[in-house]
Amino acid sequence: MAGAVLAVIAPFANLVGYFYRKEEEVSKRQKLANLKDLSPGSYIFFSYPQTGDPKIDNDPFRQYVLIMTHDGHLRVYSRVCVHLWCLPSYIPSRGALICPCHGSIYRDTDGVAVDGPAAYQQYPTNALPMGVIEVDQNGDIWMVGVEGRLGYGREWQRVKPDDLVRRVT
Amino acid sequence: MASDSRNIRELLNNLWKWTVDRLERTTIVVYKFTVPKQYISPYGYLGTLTAIVFAILGVSGAFLMFYYRPDVELAFLSVKEIQEKVPFGFILRNVHYHASNLMVLLAILHLYYQYFSGRYKIKNEVLWVTGIILGILTILEAYTGYNLIMNQRALLAVNIGMGLTYSAPILGPTIAPIFMGGGLFDLVVRFYALHVFILPLLMLLLAAVHFPRALIIDFPVISVIVGVIFISAGLFPAELGIKFDLTRGLVEVPEWYLTAIYAFLRTGTERFTAGALLPLLFVIMFLIVPFVDRSRKLSWKDRPFFTALGVASIVLVTVTTVWGFYVDFSKETAFDQLYIEPTLFYGSIAGMTIASFYATYVYLSRQVRGARPPPTKPIVLKPQSATTIMVVLLVFIAAAAAATFYTYFINLPNHSMFYLGIAFFLFGLLLHVYRHSIYTQERQATQREQQAVRTAT
Repeated sequence: MAGAVLAVIAPFANLVGYFYRKEEEVSKRQKLANLKDLSPGSYIFFSYPQTGDPKIDNDPFRQYVLIMTHDGHLRVYSRVCVHLWCLPSYIPSRGALICPCHGSIYRDTDGVAVDGPAAYQQYPTNALPMGVIEVDQNGDIWMVGVEGRLGYGREWQRVKPDDLVRRVT
Repeated sequence: MASDSRNIRELLNNLWKWTVDRLERTTIVVYKFTVPKQYISPYGYLGTLTAIVFAILGVSGAFLMFYYRPDVELAFLSVKEIQEKVPFGFILRNVHYHASNLMVLLAILHLYYQYFSGRYKIKNEVLWVTGIILGILTILEAYTGYNLIMNQRALLAVNIGMGLTYSAPILGPTIAPIFMGGGLFDLVVRFYALHVFILPLLMLLLAAVHFPRALIIDFPVISVIVGVIFISAGLFPAELGIKFDLTRGLVEVPEWYLTAIYAFLRTGTERFTAGALLPLLFVIMFLIVPFVDRSRKLSWKDRPFFTALGVASIVLVTVTTVWGFYVDFSKETAFDQLYIEPTLFYGSIAGMTIASFYATYVYLSRQVRGARPPPTKPIVLKPQSATTIMVVLLVFIAAAAAATFYTYFINLPNHSMFYLGIAFFLFGLLLHVYRHSIYTQERQATQREQQAVRTAT
C-alpha cells in the first residue's frame, strides 16, 4: 500500500523544483580550453553554464576565470567577489585576483582572500567558489560543476583545490 | 426648474438607499466606518492611516508597472525613463517612494502607541500578532521595492539580504537560490513578483484578520497625510542613484528602516548573528509580550516594567539606526570608512539601553499619583472668526494651487509637488476648522436648549 502511494507521489516529489532554475547545464560538460593554449600565468575569462542567450551569459553570477598558476596548477574560480559582488580581475604578476571595488585580494592557488574586506570574513565566506574541471587525454579542459555558493563562499566542508581538478584517462 | 432639481435629488436618494440596502448582503457591513464629528487623536487610528497609505501605494505602484521593466539591464533605465521622460512619472514615482517611507513610519508609530497603551491585551492577542507579522511584511515589501531600481544602493541591499539568507544554518543554502535563481537576471524578476503580487497579497489577507471592526475615517487627517507625502517628495525628491556597476566601489547606506541591521553587520560580528538573530530577538520580544504581561492594567504609567522595556527598545532602535548612517570619511578606503568598532558599538547600545530602561523603571515606580490634570478647555470658534480663518485658508490654498500649476508648466515637478502638498495640508486644516466650528455651534445650541428646558421647569 505504502509502496503504491509512493509510486504515485514520486514523480511529483520534485514540485519544489519549480522554485529553482533547473540547470541541466550545470552538470553539463563545457569545454574551456586546451592545455596547449595555456602557459603558467595565463588565464581565460568565460561564462558557465553557457546558454547562447547573451543576457543570461553576461550575468555576473555566470562569470568564471580559468587560471594556470605559476607552478602549473589549473584553477577555476567564480569571478563574483564574496564581499560585495564586484568582479575581480586576475593579475598574473601578483599571482592574485584583485577586486576593483574594495581591494580584496585572493590567492590564485586556493582562492582564499588574503587581504582586503573579504579577508576579514569568516570561513567559508572568505573564499571564491571553485569550478570543478576535468582534463582528458587530449589535454582538453572541461568544466563539469561548481563547488561553493556564488557570491557567498564555499561549503562548510573544506575541499582541497587539487581534488577539483580531475584527470580523465 | 425647482421641481426638476427636486426630482433629481429624490432619484439620487432612492438610488443611494437602494444600493445601501443591497450592500447589507455583503461583507462590507461587517466594518463600521465612522467619520468623526469632532477632532479625536490620530494616535487611536494610526492603523487605518497605514492602510490608507497602503492603498495609495497600491494605486501609484500599479501605474508605475506600466513603464517599469523587470530586467537586469533595463530596470534602471526604465526607472530613469519614468523619472525623466514619462509625463507625471516623476510625481508618481515620488508619491510611491515617500508613501512607502510614510507607511513604515506610521506602522512603527502604530506599534508603539498600541504597545504603550496596552492594547495588545484583553482579547487583542490575535490582532497584535498579525500586526507584528504585517510590520515585517511591510519592511520586506519596502526592501524588495527599492531593490527593483537596480542601482548601486539596491545591489548593496540585495547583496546583504542574500548573504544573510545564505548564512542561515541548514535552510540557508536551500532558500537563497529560490530568490537568486540563475543569477541577477532571475533575481530581479523574482523580487518583482514578490513586490507587486505575493507580498501585497499576503498583507491583504493578514489585514483582513488584523482590521478591527470599527474603522475611523477622518478626512482632515487623511488630507494632511497626503499633504505630508507631497511635501516630503517636494523637499527630498527620490534619488535615482547610479546604475549598478560591478567595478566601482561606492559608500552607500541603505534606507533608514534597514540601517539598524546594517550597523550590526558593519561591526564584523558573524553575519547571521548580527543581521538576523539579534533583530529576531527584538521581534520575538514584541511577539510574546501579550503572553507575558498578564496584568489587567492598561496604562503605561501602571506598567513600569513593560513601559521601560518599550522605551529601551526605542532607544536601541534609534541608537543603532544612527550608527547605521555613520560613515567616517577621514578614513582612506571605503571598507575602513564603513567599519564600526564593535566594543564602541555594543558598549554604546548596551549602556544607553540599560540606562533608559533603568531610568524609566525607577521614575515610574517611584511616581506618586497626583490629582488628574484638569481637562483642557475646548477652543470655541465664533462663526465669524471661523469663516475668516476658512477664507484666509482658501486664499492660501488657491495660491498654492496656482503655484502648483505654474511650477509644473515651467518643468519644476518637485516644486509643484511641494505646493500641492501645502494645498492638501491646508485643505485638511480647513476641513478641521469647518468641522470644529459646526461641532461647537451644535453643542452650544443643545446646551442653550437644555438651559431653556431647565429654566422653564
